[in-house]
Amino acid sequence: MSVEVKNITKKFGDFTALDQVNLKVESGELVALLGPSGSGKTTLLRVIAGLEFPDSGAAQVLFYGEDVTAIPASQRKAGFAFQHYALFRHLNVFENIAFGLRVRPKATRPGEEQIRARVGELLKLNQLEPLAKRFPSQLSGGQRQRVALARALAVEPKVLLLDEPFGAVDAKVRKELRRWLRKLHEEIHITTLFVTHDQEEALEVADRVAILRDGRIEQIGTPEEIYDNPASPFVYDFLGNVNLFSGRVREGTVIIGETEFAVEETAGETDTDAVAFVRPHDIRITREANGQKTFPARILRCNGAGPLANLELERLDNGGLFAAQLSKEEFQQLQPKAGEQVFVELKNVKIFSEDFSI
Amino acid sequence: MPLGNNSICMAKKQNRVLPGFRWTLGYTLLYLSLIVLIPLAATFVKSSELTWAEFSHTVFSPPALAAYRLSFGASFFAAVVNAVFGFIVAWVLVRYDFFGKRIVDALVDLPFALPTAVAGITLATLYAPNGWIGAWLAPLGIKVSYTQLGIFIALTFIGLPFIVRTVQPVLADLDSELEEAATSLGANRWQTFWRVILPMLSPALLTGFALAFARALGEYGSVVFISSNIPMKTQIVPLLIMSELDGFQYAKATALAVVMLVISFLLLLAVNLLQWWSNRYNTTNLA
Repeated sequence: MSVEVKNITKKFGDFTALDQVNLKVESGELVALLGPSGSGKTTLLRVIAGLEFPDSGAAQVLFYGEDVTAIPASQRKAGFAFQHYALFRHLNVFENIAFGLRVRPKATRPGEEQIRARVGELLKLNQLEPLAKRFPSQLSGGQRQRVALARALAVEPKVLLLDEPFGAVDAKVRKELRRWLRKLHEEIHITTLFVTHDQEEALEVADRVAILRDGRIEQIGTPEEIYDNPASPFVYDFLGNVNLFSGRVREGTVIIGETEFAVEETAGETDTDAVAFVRPHDIRITREANGQKTFPARILRCNGAGPLANLELERLDNGGLFAAQLSKEEFQQLQPKAGEQVFVELKNVKIFSEDFSI
Repeated sequence: MPLGNNSICMAKKQNRVLPGFRWTLGYTLLYLSLIVLIPLAATFVKSSELTWAEFSHTVFSPPALAAYRLSFGASFFAAVVNAVFGFIVAWVLVRYDFFGKRIVDALVDLPFALPTAVAGITLATLYAPNGWIGAWLAPLGIKVSYTQLGIFIALTFIGLPFIVRTVQPVLADLDSELEEAATSLGANRWQTFWRVILPMLSPALLTGFALAFARALGEYGSVVFISSNIPMKTQIVPLLIMSELDGFQYAKATALAVVMLVISFLLLLAVNLLQWWSNRYNTTNLA
């Protein structure tokens, strides 16, 4: 049982928003569509909702086995929450949520009592009870987002689609909303897809993350899978800060400057130029050289504010810049100073065989 | 109420980016006095030359009563018809692209620019029994020119731009996501229109209606030509006032004007209240 799209291609003029996309979301799963702007993530969401129709004849949208490709949005029963909420300004919170119930055809429309009960339930679930009589213009961003969600849930949708659900609120509310969405999903277990360009958000909230690039799904997997085993330099870069070191690959190692570092996979490459990818927190800094395992560098800048200390460094051999992150403890032990020369050790070095550009 | 409170607070605050509250308010009052209030007050003063008996005899005479009915009735129906068809014109101009759209758009403003006498003569000729349009209507037994129907058509003609020009910008600004939201919640097109689009546009529509209605009430030039101006039948209030003036009955003329003013003011006030009510959701007082 799943929500599934097959062979989705969508072009806007010359621009290809989606290019042969296939995606399967299991029932009850919470999946994030992650990608930079223009990667097609919102278009994919809109295709699933029926607000946009795919180009090719082979395209299919399936809700639990039922082909809904040709069914218009109004009959698809896909709950959609818009990035800018799209609340009905002329209706209060209660009536906004009740909208989907009131527009049902007479035969299936619930009575006033039932509508009251259902909306009351949703107001409670979304902690909106005291705001039932307010108009959208009298709500804060976080409250509006919750109304938009309650409104989408009122019609008992088969799938919940959220476009940048935390995009238009400030950082603090964003964190609260994230936690709240996760909790809501655990309570009602509705199949949910949400679009985001924030990797932290996707990794924290979703069961699985699909990473989009130029209208294609680059990689899909659990947050751990994609973070630990990114399939491409693009994914690696997109999921967090990254340092690039040019060097040479040779038999399970990469040689950077004059130092050899072990590499898990070299993707069959031997004795060629390569670019090694290292996350800033996988860089260790010491004052003493550790034989063949370290190379020298100079510290350019130190910033100890926040839970992690950020350092900017320069390789001594070729002047290449890179960044390192130390824990508070490490930082206090080492007490690095700008301008000082140190030795650098790399952990979890990754090599990608395809292209080295990001 | 919150809106009113806000504006008072704002006015009291002295440290604004752009100072000049006193200047602008002073200018506003002076301008309104010179252009609107003093001439209107003069009307009341002049009409007070009549005794109460004379006054009531003038304003409640059968021709006067018939003229009020005609003036307000024809203006009201013209504004209603304009609200419907002007809305459709605005809709087409905003929502669709077609060849000659700019020209159609420019045509809408013509009733603003055209001298109303020209409009009256043109309409009277077209709708006369031997005119281009009147010739088709005559066999059906419909007479337009020189009847009440003709007055209604003239008033519709001059009122059209008001509806189109007030609704058009609001419709253009309407977020298409609202319609998508309604659709994804299961609403069909009809429901989306009635429950989402129309309520969002109703303040603008009411403004347009009030403007068209007010404009039609004061219209004189075009009606004189398309109406036969027969008392009790096709005589509107402005014409009745003119005929009193022609007989040098200035006080009587102003008495009729006063009645017209008071009723118009009350009606426009009612429309404004209705508009305020339909726009009540637009308060932004965050608790």
